[in-house]
Amino acid sequence: MATVALSSLGRGAARYALVAALAAVFALFATLAPGFLTGANLLSVLVNNFALLAIVAIAMTFAVSAGGIDLSVGTAVDFSSFAFVSLVLAGQPVALAALGGLAGGALVGLFNAVLIAGIGISPFLATLGTLFVGRSVQQLLTNGGNPVYLPPAGVPEAFRFLGHGTLAGLPVPLVVTALVIGGAWVVLSRTRFGRVALATGIQASVVRYSGLRLPRITAATYILVSTIAAVVGLILTSTVTVYIPSSGNAFLLNAIGATFIGTTFDPHGRPNVPGTVLGVLLLGVVANGLLLSGLNFYWQQVGTGLLIFSVLAIGFANRKAAGRA
Amino acid sequence: MLVDAPYIPASALEVEAQKAFETPRTGPAFGRRLATLALRGGALAVFVGVLVVFSAAAPFFLTVGNIGNVLGQSAIAGVLAIGLTIVIIAGGSNVVTGGIDLSLAANMGLSAAVYATLVQAGHGDGVAIAGALATGLAIGAVNAAAVTLAGIVPLLATLAVMNVVAGLELVLTQNTVVPASSEFLSALSAGGPFGIPVLAYLLLGFTLVVAAIVQYTPLGLRLYAVGAFPDAARAAGLPVKSFVAGSFLASGLCGGLAGILSVSYLSGSTTGAGDMLLPVVVTALLGTVFSGRLVPTVTGTLLSALFVGFLINGFQLLNISSTLVSGVQGLLILLVVSATTLLGRKENA
Repeated sequence: MATVALSSLGRGAARYALVAALAAVFALFATLAPGFLTGANLLSVLVNNFALLAIVAIAMTFAVSAGGIDLSVGTAVDFSSFAFVSLVLAGQPVALAALGGLAGGALVGLFNAVLIAGIGISPFLATLGTLFVGRSVQQLLTNGGNPVYLPPAGVPEAFRFLGHGTLAGLPVPLVVTALVIGGAWVVLSRTRFGRVALATGIQASVVRYSGLRLPRITAATYILVSTIAAVVGLILTSTVTVYIPSSGNAFLLNAIGATFIGTTFDPHGRPNVPGTVLGVLLLGVVANGLLLSGLNFYWQQVGTGLLIFSVLAIGFANRKAAGRA
Repeated sequence: MLVDAPYIPASALEVEAQKAFETPRTGPAFGRRLATLALRGGALAVFVGVLVVFSAAAPFFLTVGNIGNVLGQSAIAGVLAIGLTIVIIAGGSNVVTGGIDLSLAANMGLSAAVYATLVQAGHGDGVAIAGALATGLAIGAVNAAAVTLAGIVPLLATLAVMNVVAGLELVLTQNTVVPASSEFLSALSAGGPFGIPVLAYLLLGFTLVVAAIVQYTPLGLRLYAVGAFPDAARAAGLPVKSFVAGSFLASGLCGGLAGILSVSYLSGSTTGAGDMLLPVVVTALLGTVFSGRLVPTVTGTLLSALFVGFLINGFQLLNISSTLVSGVQGLLILLVVSATTLLGRKENA
């Protein structure tokens, strides 16, 4: 009896380790860093440390949900950015260019889908290959990796809107992020596709024996992942008005980290949208708090890494304890 | 049970099931064997083909001096990839749940920084070597503890450790180049007998020693058993966790060693070691196609490291943009993995 109680306690602790860590970090920086708890700073955390990474992490959550991983999310961001900038430079309307950007990102997903669902390569290797090929393609397209600038004079107002505009007083990137999060949560936990994708991640053979078309589901998942990541390419490009080859990879490791930190939030240790959002929030708050507390810039990376490590350790150790009881 | 099986009269259904299981194996067996053979020999054939093409196009390519250069330039990546190979062998080749060490490149960077900093602080080579190896080993120990004690999936544990280690390197060096020179370092970066760099001999010697341990001792056999059949290994009484922990310690040590080599190669420590990560992962994974049974082996990893090294070198000699190298690497891994996957699927059918 005691062990049963303990194990359910362990499971509860695993679930709330993440929330507790977030609260602790928040309280710590509220006392340590003077400007942390101001409205302006918290908004800047959301815009600068949260919005874009959250979208990539949501994309990653879909890939991990379906039992895979996508190392080429950054490549999708880059391809989207490149297509967007090129089309705007070519004088196309911004809306059309944005669609082109999304299509550019989706193309990366299609390539992954062929490799993973069509040929049957493991997602890690397939997307690793895509990452390499994508990097080379970008360097070929840009004469060895030169950034593609948009001339400040020639930038249409609609182009800047996505990165700098406001909707009802809220920055547009944040609104888009909220929409993506909401949409992803609905798809993953409230639709048939989401349930099937999760089932694929838990036991692919069951999905196959249930008469569902596993390759089609997998293909759809990876195209979805890249398309979501492509949204970041659009926002990023509108914010900085330049495409820098292979810059999207900066999101990759933190997105994986946030997704897996998020799995500690689920009682069964599965990837889930709220957990991922909390994971990204945790990373963002730590990055911002460390910056404000005047700590050496380089210690920030150490701090973030230690934090990911501890949350994962607590989560996994608790899950192990719960599983063993 | 298995021994008794033939004596139990098989029902019609079982016979059918047996047939269904065996038919695809008897039919195209020859073709399949041929295809597998072609793939195994194919990797080597591609290797030789690339050498031939390059040597035809660039006469300097196949000289002893150039081959020595390629060996020397591949030393750092080769040592790291061999460390990763040990982890992959012990953890199983499923990349997401099995063995992987993403912290290796960062480990090399920090170990190099520690070495260079110690030399600059006026310590001798002995202290610096000990410091670099201890750094690598400590990182390996953290990975080992995270994976075997806390039970974190290797991919995640080593990802987090990678971030911490890369951060520590920045803290130590303040993101600057730390120059270092000493007699030992110049001896390492010098040319050896036959005009071949010392680093080349080191790579070959290191590969020989590790390959001998991993591929020709009972310890190595157990390492494979632990990775490929953990349940069976556990049932046979092997301390699975100790082997996995040991593999991370070994790869950590390889990271420290590669750190020393990189200090000698670059005459100091520079940041940006993380760029090595993906090429090293590719090298280790690509290595399986150079082994007889398509499993990770130390010699296969060496061949794969040299293959990538010769590709880069040949591209340079032919004045082909080095930006193509990562693309070729990507295509290669996709090609090789597709072929093995398609063949594997036929074998399982």
